[in-house]
Amino acid sequence: MLREPLGVLGISLVLLVVLGAVFADFLASADPSKISPRNRFSSPGFEHLAGTDQLGRDLFSRVLHGGQIALAVALGSTAVSLLIGMVLGLIAGYGPRWLDNLLILVFDAMKSFPTVMLALALVTLFGPSLTAVVVVVILVNVPGYARIIRTQTIALKSAEYVTAAQSMGASTARVLRVHILPNVIGPLLILASMDIPVVIAIEAGMSFLGLGVRPPTPSWGAILNDGFANIRESYWIVVAGGIPIILTTLGFTFLGETLRDVFDPRLKGR
Amino acid sequence: MGGNKQRQLSRRNLLLSAGALGSTGLFAPHIAWSQDGKILKVRSYSDLQILDPAFRLSAPEGDIMRAIYAGLATNVPGDVWDWKAVSVESLEQLDELTVAFKLRDKIGFTDGFGQMTAEDVKFSIERVANPANESPYAGDWAALKEVEVKDTLSGLIHLKNAFAPLWTSTLPTTTCSILSKAAVEAAGGKIGAQPVAQSGQYILTEWTPKQRTILRRNPDWAYEPGGYDEIQIIPIEDPATAELGFEAGDLDHTWTAVSSISRLKENPPSGGVVLEKPSLAYVWLGINKDVAPFDNPNIRRAVQHAIDTESVVEAAYFGAATTSTGIIAPGLPGHRDKVLYGYDPDKARELLAAEGATDLSVTLDILNQSERLTAAQVVQANLADVGITCEIKQNDSGTFWTLGSKDGDYWDKLQLIIGRFSMEPDPSWATAWFVPEQIGVWNWERFDSQEFADLHAQGMVETDPAKRDEIYKQAQDIMEESGCYVFLTHEVTGVLHRDTVAPGLKPNGEPLLGDFKPV
Repeated sequence: MLREPLGVLGISLVLLVVLGAVFADFLASADPSKISPRNRFSSPGFEHLAGTDQLGRDLFSRVLHGGQIALAVALGSTAVSLLIGMVLGLIAGYGPRWLDNLLILVFDAMKSFPTVMLALALVTLFGPSLTAVVVVVILVNVPGYARIIRTQTIALKSAEYVTAAQSMGASTARVLRVHILPNVIGPLLILASMDIPVVIAIEAGMSFLGLGVRPPTPSWGAILNDGFANIRESYWIVVAGGIPIILTTLGFTFLGETLRDVFDPRLKGR
Repeated sequence: MGGNKQRQLSRRNLLLSAGALGSTGLFAPHIAWSQDGKILKVRSYSDLQILDPAFRLSAPEGDIMRAIYAGLATNVPGDVWDWKAVSVESLEQLDELTVAFKLRDKIGFTDGFGQMTAEDVKFSIERVANPANESPYAGDWAALKEVEVKDTLSGLIHLKNAFAPLWTSTLPTTTCSILSKAAVEAAGGKIGAQPVAQSGQYILTEWTPKQRTILRRNPDWAYEPGGYDEIQIIPIEDPATAELGFEAGDLDHTWTAVSSISRLKENPPSGGVVLEKPSLAYVWLGINKDVAPFDNPNIRRAVQHAIDTESVVEAAYFGAATTSTGIIAPGLPGHRDKVLYGYDPDKARELLAAEGATDLSVTLDILNQSERLTAAQVVQANLADVGITCEIKQNDSGTFWTLGSKDGDYWDKLQLIIGRFSMEPDPSWATAWFVPEQIGVWNWERFDSQEFADLHAQGMVETDPAKRDEIYKQAQDIMEESGCYVFLTHEVTGVLHRDTVAPGLKPNGEPLLGDFKPV
C-alpha cells in the first residue's frame, strides 16, 4: 500500500488529522472556548495561527479540538454501525427466510428516510446533541452494512466448507464466527473506511444547522456556521472550518480506495 | 429547414435561454426589483400567527394590522413621535377625561360587513379593555371608563382618570385598530391568522406560512392610498440572512443586524440606503424565579453579578450598541443612569458558595438569530466562569414566543431567557408587561410585585414628567432588586432599503407599511 502515492497521501492526511486531534492540547495552547470579544476577527498571525472568530476565540485551537469531536463521532459511530450491521446481516443471511424478509423490510424502511429529515425528526424529539448525531449516523449506516453482510452470508452458507462444518456438528454460532465472518468482513472494513468522511460530513452538516454539538463545544460544522454568519467580516473562519473537512474527507477517501485496490486488484483504476 | 431547426425547443436551447435569463439577473439584479409602485417586498423578523389587535404576539403582526384594519390614528413617519388620523375625521381631547371622535364616512369593512360605525369603535376599544377578555394589551386602555356612541359616526371616549400614555402609546398603536363588531361576533369572538372584515389601505389576500404574506391595495379605500399595489412581507428570522436577501434583490426593505450597521454604512450594497435609528426596544436576560435553582434569590443575584453586560453587548453587536440600565431607553421619563447589581464575578462566586450551589446546570432559551446566539455564548462563558454550566437552546420564532405562556407546558421548565420587546414612546409601555397580571402572558420571569404594579398604575395617571421619571426609576429598581433581570441593551435599529423606495418609518425605525412610497 505504501507503494501507492494516493495511499501514502491518504495515510499522511489521516495521520495529520488524527495526531492534530489527539495532541490538540499540546499543539494549541489557547482554550478553544475562551471568549475575548475585544479580540474578535483577528486575522491569522503569530498569536492566532488561524485567526479568531466573532467571539475572539482562537480558531486554530477550535479546529484541533473540533477534530476530536469529528473523529470521535466518525470512528465511534462507524464502529457501532459496523458491529450492529454485521450481527443483523449475519442473522438475516443465515437465519430462516421469514426473518430475512423481516429484516430486509426494516433495512429498506430505515434506508428510505432522507438523512436530513431523519436528523430533524430525532432532534425534534430529543433535542440537539452529540448523541443525536451519533444516533443519526448509526441509523443511516447500519442498513447498508447489514445488507452487504447478508448478501455475502447467503452466498457463503451453501459453500462446501460451510456445509462440511455443519455436517460435522458445528454450532450456528461457530459456523458464523469461524467460517463465515472472516470471509465477509474484509469488504466491510474497506466500505467503513470510505464511509468515515461521509460521517464527518454528516456531523459537520448537523452542527452547521445547529442540530449537532452544542455551543461552546468546538465542531468543524459549527465553525463553518460561524464563518457563514460573519463572512462579510472575515473570510478565515470559513477557511478554518472548511480546510479540515476537505483534508479529512480526501485522506479517508484515498485511504479507502487504496485499501480496496490492495484487497481487490481487479478494481484498480476504476 | 435551418430556420425551423433554430426554433425547435431543444435541451441545449433551453439551457442557453435559462442561462441568458439568469445572467441578466446577475448583471442587472435591479431589473427584478419592484420599483415602479407595483410591488414592495419587505422582510419581517417573524411570521404572523394572530391578526387580532387584542391578542397579537409580535410587532410584525402589528405592522400588518395597521395596514389592514383602519385604526383611529397612527404614527407619523419621520424623526419625531407624532400621530395622524386614519379612520377619523376628528379626534380631540375635550378635557382630561374625555376624547371625542368622528369617523370618516367612507370607511367600509370587506366581506359585506358594511360601514365602520361608532358602535364598532366602542366594541373594539372595550373588547381590549374588558378584563373578562384577558387581553394582554388591556393596560393600554387601563383608564377607560366607557365609549359612548353619540350617533352612527361619532362618539366619546370617557376615561376614569387622567391617562398619560393616551396620545403616545394607546391611540396611535395597533391596540386602537377598529374591528367590525358583526364580523368578530360571527367569528366567535376571536381572530386567528386569517383576518376578519378588513378596512385599511391594504387587504391581506394571501398568507403562506413561513413563506410570505401578501397585502394588496384595498379597492374600496377612499382616502390617501398606499404607495404600492402589492406589499409582500417575507418572514426571515435572521437579519444577516435578510441582508443577503436584500443584496440578491429579493427584498426592498429590511432591518439589518445591529452588528452589520457600521459595515453597511461604510460599504452599502449597490442601490441600497442604510439608516441608523435610535431604538426604544429593550433586550434583557430574564431569570424565572419560580423554577429551581432560581427560586433562591441569592442564586438569581449571583447570575446578575456574573454577567458582563459590556462583553455581551460588544460581542453581539460589534460595538454598534451600548449597554442599558433598564427597560426604559434614554430620552423617555424613567431612564436610569446605572444598574444596582453590576458585573462582579467574585461576588457571584461568593453568593454561590454561601448557598452551597456547586455544579449548577441551567438552560438558556433564545430566539434562533446570530446576534442572540453570540450574546448567549458570552452569557454561557460568564456563567461558566463562576461555575454554572449553561446549555443554550435555540428556538424558532413560533416556538420561542410561546415558551413562557401559562397555557403551554414549558413555563415551569424555563430557566433563563434572552428576551427583546418592542416599545412605544411611553415608559408605561415598558412596565406594562411585568405586572403580576402578565405572569405567564408576557412576564415569563414570573416577577411578582404588587409595589411594582402600583407604581405602574401610578405612572399612567401621573402627568407631571418629573414625577413620572421618579416613578419609573423606582419601578425598575424593584425589578432589578427581584433578581429576575439583567438588562442588556436597547440596541439601535439598522434599516436597509432600496434607493427607489421612500420607507415610512417611525422615529425608532419600525415600519409603517401604509407610508412606504416609491421614489
